[in-house]
Amino acid sequence: MAGRGKLIAVIGDEDTCTGFLLGGIGELNKNRKPNFLVVEKETSITEIEETFKSFLARNDIGIILINQFIAEMIRHAIDAHMQSIPAVLEIPSKEHPYDASKDSILRRAKGMFSAEDFR
Amino acid sequence: MGVSESEESSLLLDEKLLRFMEQLELLEEKRATFNSLIEQGWFSMSKARYTMGNKQVSALQYASEIEPLVCVQTRTLDNGEVEFTTEKCTQTCSKESGKDQRAIEDIGPQEEGVRRRNRPKREIAESTSSDKAPAGKRDHNAQQDPLKWFGVLVPQSLKHAQSSFKQVIELSAEIAALQTAVLSARQELKHSLQNKHTPGERLSNSAGQGSRHNTSAESKQEEAEKQLSATDSQ
Repeated sequence: MAGRGKLIAVIGDEDTCTGFLLGGIGELNKNRKPNFLVVEKETSITEIEETFKSFLARNDIGIILINQFIAEMIRHAIDAHMQSIPAVLEIPSKEHPYDASKDSILRRAKGMFSAEDFR
Repeated sequence: MGVSESEESSLLLDEKLLRFMEQLELLEEKRATFNSLIEQGWFSMSKARYTMGNKQVSALQYASEIEPLVCVQTRTLDNGEVEFTTEKCTQTCSKESGKDQRAIEDIGPQEEGVRRRNRPKREIAESTSSDKAPAGKRDHNAQQDPLKWFGVLVPQSLKHAQSSFKQVIELSAEIAALQTAVLSARQELKHSLQNKHTPGERLSNSAGQGSRHNTSAESKQEEAEKQLSATDSQ
């Protein structure tokens, strides 16, 4: 497994998933488990969260790409993830442009510059 | 002596802070490129959808067997940073998907110019047998190139979308690496800030200025730790 490299997983709307799968990141493993989740209107938050957690638990995934508006739904789960592998990247979606102030990583980095730290 | 030490640590802190800022700036730049590339990809995909029909470019078209063509190599460096590099998967599919792509583009007469109709029979048999072999291979790997899920003759815009998403994937690995670098730089900065504050207090404690000072220094330290953990939880 080490020689093969890790996968890139996607949780996103249809266009985001289609685009990244066109790019060649998609995989259906032996258990028919995909490394992507197409989030539609009827997809529940628990389903998203469970998929995200299952991606975190898989050791063959290196990066998880997630639409920012979906990340907002499961923010607590993303904030709780502290390891550097897999890396979680918040990406824009067609309807929702990227907002850096919502990004977990940038908010963590910004936490550095509170007034208390420089007393 | 103490002053020069503190000056030195301050300079070191400044240096780290500057590096941290540089990394943040680079991250922002890459994010901007990433966003514009992904927008371009969606635009091309929408154009393809307009050409092919609404249902032709959707999740329903995904193949039943999907193999990754790109994967990331991760390497943890000594300073806690993680390096992410994309590479083509070391499977035969990656090589042959290139052949498939060419096969789409090469549709049309194989031989240019005048065709020789009256050829001896032996020559014809040879040429057909040599043609059949790659055709069989193509059929076997037809599902490997994701472009083929959407049809054999896909519009150019879908190919554009594919190429921009490939670039996006490469960039996402770079951004992931940069994100871990930013976080580790922040951690480092936090530790050195902590170290800068604590030695001074320890010095004052060792000078024996009384137990009251001692307790106040401890409480300060506790307070600082609380604040740091608060920023972490944010």
